[in-house]
Amino acid sequence: MRKGFTRKFEPVRVLSDAQVETIHKKTLEVMSEVGCKFESARALELLKKNGCRVDFETRTVYFPPALVEYSIRECPSSFLVRSRDPKDNLLIGGNTLYFMSSLGARLSDIETGEVRVPTMDENNQAIFISDALDSIDLYSGYTPYFEIEGVEPVMLCSTSLAMRLRNSTKITRGTQPTDTFIWETRIAQAAGQELIGNMEAAAPLSYPEDAINAAFTYVEAGFPVYIAAGSVMGGTAPVTVAGSTISNNAELLSAVVFIQCIKPGTGIIANDFVTPMNMESGDLFFCSLGASLHQMAFNQMWHDFYKIPTNNTGSAFPYAKKADYQSAYEKTHIAMASALSGANMIVFHGGVTAELSYNPVLAIIDDDIAMTIGKTIEGFEVSEESMAVDLIKEVGPVPGTFLNKSHTRTWWKKEYFMPQSADRTSYPEWKSSGQKGVIDKARERMEHILATHKVESIPADADREIDKILAEARKYYKEKGLL
Amino acid sequence: MRKGFSRKIPPLKVLNSSQMEYIHSSTLEVLEKTGVKFESERALKLLKESGCSVDFETRVVKFPGWLVEECARKAPSSFAVKARIPEDDLRISLSTLYFMPAAGAKLHDEATGELSVATLDQNNQGVRLCDGLESVDFQASYCPFFELKDVEPVMLLAESQASIARFSTRVSRGAQATDSFIWEAMIANAAGKQLIGTMEGAAPLCFPEDAINAAFEYMDNGFPIWATGGSVMGGSSPVTVAGATISNNAEILAAITFIQCYKPGNPVLANDFVIPMDMESGNLFFGALGAGFHQMAFNQIYRDLYRIPTCNAMAAFPNSKLIDYQNAFEKTHLAMSSALSGASMIAFTGSVSQELAWSPVQAVIDNDSVNIIGRYIEGFEINEDTAALDLIAEVGPSPGSFLGKKHTRENWKKEYYVPKTFDRLSYQDWERSGKSSVIEKAKKGVHELLGSHNPAPLNDGQEKEIRRILKEARQYYSKKGLL
Repeated sequence: MRKGFTRKFEPVRVLSDAQVETIHKKTLEVMSEVGCKFESARALELLKKNGCRVDFETRTVYFPPALVEYSIRECPSSFLVRSRDPKDNLLIGGNTLYFMSSLGARLSDIETGEVRVPTMDENNQAIFISDALDSIDLYSGYTPYFEIEGVEPVMLCSTSLAMRLRNSTKITRGTQPTDTFIWETRIAQAAGQELIGNMEAAAPLSYPEDAINAAFTYVEAGFPVYIAAGSVMGGTAPVTVAGSTISNNAELLSAVVFIQCIKPGTGIIANDFVTPMNMESGDLFFCSLGASLHQMAFNQMWHDFYKIPTNNTGSAFPYAKKADYQSAYEKTHIAMASALSGANMIVFHGGVTAELSYNPVLAIIDDDIAMTIGKTIEGFEVSEESMAVDLIKEVGPVPGTFLNKSHTRTWWKKEYFMPQSADRTSYPEWKSSGQKGVIDKARERMEHILATHKVESIPADADREIDKILAEARKYYKEKGLL
Repeated sequence: MRKGFSRKIPPLKVLNSSQMEYIHSSTLEVLEKTGVKFESERALKLLKESGCSVDFETRVVKFPGWLVEECARKAPSSFAVKARIPEDDLRISLSTLYFMPAAGAKLHDEATGELSVATLDQNNQGVRLCDGLESVDFQASYCPFFELKDVEPVMLLAESQASIARFSTRVSRGAQATDSFIWEAMIANAAGKQLIGTMEGAAPLCFPEDAINAAFEYMDNGFPIWATGGSVMGGSSPVTVAGATISNNAEILAAITFIQCYKPGNPVLANDFVIPMDMESGNLFFGALGAGFHQMAFNQIYRDLYRIPTCNAMAAFPNSKLIDYQNAFEKTHLAMSSALSGASMIAFTGSVSQELAWSPVQAVIDNDSVNIIGRYIEGFEINEDTAALDLIAEVGPSPGSFLGKKHTRENWKKEYYVPKTFDRLSYQDWERSGKSSVIEKAKKGVHELLGSHNPAPLNDGQEKEIRRILKEARQYYSKKGLL
C-alpha cells in the first residue's frame, strides 16, 4: 500500500458552517429546479426509476434533495484501489494525501519553452522515471503525453494506458472519449490492476454520452470513479467563486447520484478543476487565485461536509512556458493551498505551458516539491524527546552549543526533508562547482534513475492479451471509419 | 493608513491546545530554571527590581512564570506606527497581514547570479523601487543592501536609515549594531516618523549589550520593538521543531518581559527567524520545511496564547542563487504557510541567494507573488449576488453560457488578481511576441517604476537635520577609532 502523506492537523477552512449550509442548500435548489442534462436514454431511465423527475425531450433531470443527500451518504469516505503490485495499492480518502502526475500534449524543452511531439520511447521513458519518483502515487489518464508520434488520436488513450501499465506498477486513471473506456477497462483487467474510472461533465450542467457510458462501464467493472466538471468561471459557470462553487457542486452531485443509482457504495473521488477565464483575452487563466479559492471551498464542502474524497487539479498546469520562477510560484501557491485545505489528491508533477506540455526533468524537480508540501500536512512531533527541555537546560546560554549533541545527530534527518535536486550549497561552493542550478541537478538524478531503477515486467501472457485488445480496438475504430 | 490584507478566514493550527500548553509550560520551565543571559548591568538591575532572580556574575536572569505571563499580557495585540505620510501609517494587528522586503548583502545579476557591491545610489534606487511597489508596506533595516561600495561598515546602518527616510514614505525598522540605534532614532524623528526598533538575541538564551541598549533607546523614543531570537536549529537551539520552538520562545519571552518591565504596554512585534542547519555541510538550510513548521507553531502560540502580533522572516531568503524554479518554490511554500497560519507580517520581497543578495528584478516579480498570497487570507464573498442563483437558472444546462452576462463583466476583476509581470499569453501569442519571460517583463517593470515613481521628498529642514545627524555619527565613530 502506498502511504502518501497523513494529515495530522485540521485543514484550513475558508467557509463558516453557515456558509457551507448556504452553498449546499443553493446547490440542491439548482439541482431540483434547474436540473442537469444527461445525454443518454439509459441514464435518464435509471434516474427516473430512482425518483428523479425527467424531461425526456430536453434530457434534463431534476433531482429531489432527499435522493441527493441519500446518494452522498452512500459514497464511502475511503476506498481501496488495487495495483498489479500490492505495494502500489492506494487507500484513497480520510486523512491521506496522494500526488498524481500531471500531463501535457507534448514534450517541452523546459529551458527554451519549445514544444514537440514525443516519440513512443520518450513517452515510455517518462513513465519509467515517474515510477521511480517517491511522491508520484498515481497517474492521470493519457499521461504523460496526449500526443505521441505514430499513434493515431483515436488510439491514444488505450495505447497510453498500455504503456503506463507496462512501464510502471502505479495506479492510473481511465478516460472517456470515443469509447476508449471499453479498451482501457479490458487492458487494466488483463494486467491485473484496477483503474480509477472517469466521468467528466460538459458544463454548464450537462453530461455527454461518452461520460455516461464510461461511468456505466467502469462502475460495472467494479472500479471507483473520478468525477469532474471542468467548468470555466465566466464561461460555463458564474465568474464568482461562490457562484461557480454552486454550479460545479450541482454538476458533481448529479454524477454522485447517477453513480450511486448504478451501484450503491461505489467509490468516488470528486475532482475540482474549475478554471477562471482571463476576460481581457478569453484565454484560460490557469494557476490563478480564483482557481485556488475555489479548490479550498471545494475541499471543505466535499471532504468535511459530504465526506467524499477530493482531488485538485489547479496546480497541474502553470501558465509559464519554461521551468522558471513563474512556473514554480504558480504551482506552489496552489498546491500549498490544496494540501492545507484538505485535498486527498493533488495533480502536480511535470506539467508546464498550461496543458500543452510535460517534461520528465521537471517531474523530478517536482518530486522534491511534492515531498515538502506533503510533509507539511504531517506536522512535527511534540513529545518529551523532541521538546528536549533537559538538553536546553544542559546547553544553557551562550556559549553553549547543540552542534555536537547526540539529540542533534538522531533527530535532524527525522525532522527535515532533504531535497535531492535543489541547490543547497553555499555561494562559494556553488561558484566553484560549476554554478549548477536545480535543472542541472535534476538531470543528474534522471541519469541515475535511468541507470538504476527497475520496474517489474508485466507477465508475458498479460502482455500478449494487451496487444490483442489493442488490435481489437484498432479494428473497432477502423469499422467506425475513425482509422 | 496602509490597508495590507485583512484576515477573513481563521488561521491554520498545527498544534492542539494541550500541545500549545505543553510548549508554554516547558518554556516557563527553561526561563525559571536555566534563565537567559543579559549582557547589561542596567537590564540586570531592572529585571531584579521587577522580581527576577539575577546572578550578576554570570549575568543570567531567571524569570518567575507569573512575571513572564503578566508581561506577555501587557504587550498590546494591535498598535499603530506612524509613517512620514499618514497614508503609510501601519496598524499592526492580529487581523492584518503586511509584507516587507528582505535585505541582501550585495546586488544580484539576474542573468548570471553574480554578485557585486552596490553603490549608495543603487541602494537609494532600491528603496525608491520598494516604495513604488504597492505590496511593500514596511521597509526593513539596512535595506535593501547591507554592504555599500561608498559607505564604511560602521556608518552603513545610519546611512541606510537616512536613505529610507529620503526615498520612501514607509515605516521602517531600526537596527542595533555598534550604537547605530542612536542615529537611526534621531533620523526617524527628524523625518517625522516612527521606527519599529529592534532587540535581537544571540542564541542560545542570550541578549548582547547592543540589543539591550537598542531596546532602551527605541523605547525611550516611544517606538515599538521587533523582538527576535534568530537561532540555528542544531547549532544554537535543539534540532527538533518542538525543541527549537521552546528555546526560541524562552528567548523572545525574556525580551518581552524585559521590554514590559521597562515600559509597560510598549508594543512588540515578535519575529520568527529560526534557521535549520544542513548537518551534512554545516550550511544554513534556507527554504526548508523545518523553518515552515517553526513559523506555523510560532504564529499559533503568539496569536492564540500571548495575543502578540508576529513577523515571519524565513520566506525572505531562498537557497537558490538564481531567480529560478527552486527560488520560487522555496519562498512561496514558506510564505503560504506563514500567511495561512496567522502571521501579521511576512518578509518576502527582493532577496535571492540566501542573505547574500537583493535584486530589484526579483522585487518586482515578488510584488505579484505577494498580491496573490495576501489575498488568500481575505477569502471570497458569499452573498445573493456572488452566489448568482438566478443567473445559473437563466443560463441553464449546456449550451448556456455566462460569457456575455453583466454579472461576469462586473465581477471578474473583483474576484481575480491579474499579475503584472507573469506571462498570461497563449503559447501562440507568446511565440509571436518574442517569448518574453517573467524576468524580462520584471526588468521592464523596474525601469518603468524608477522612471516614474518619486515619493514625497523630505523638506529642507528635515534634510538638513539628517545631514547633521550623519555628520555627528561620523564624528562619534571617528572618536571611537572606528572610522
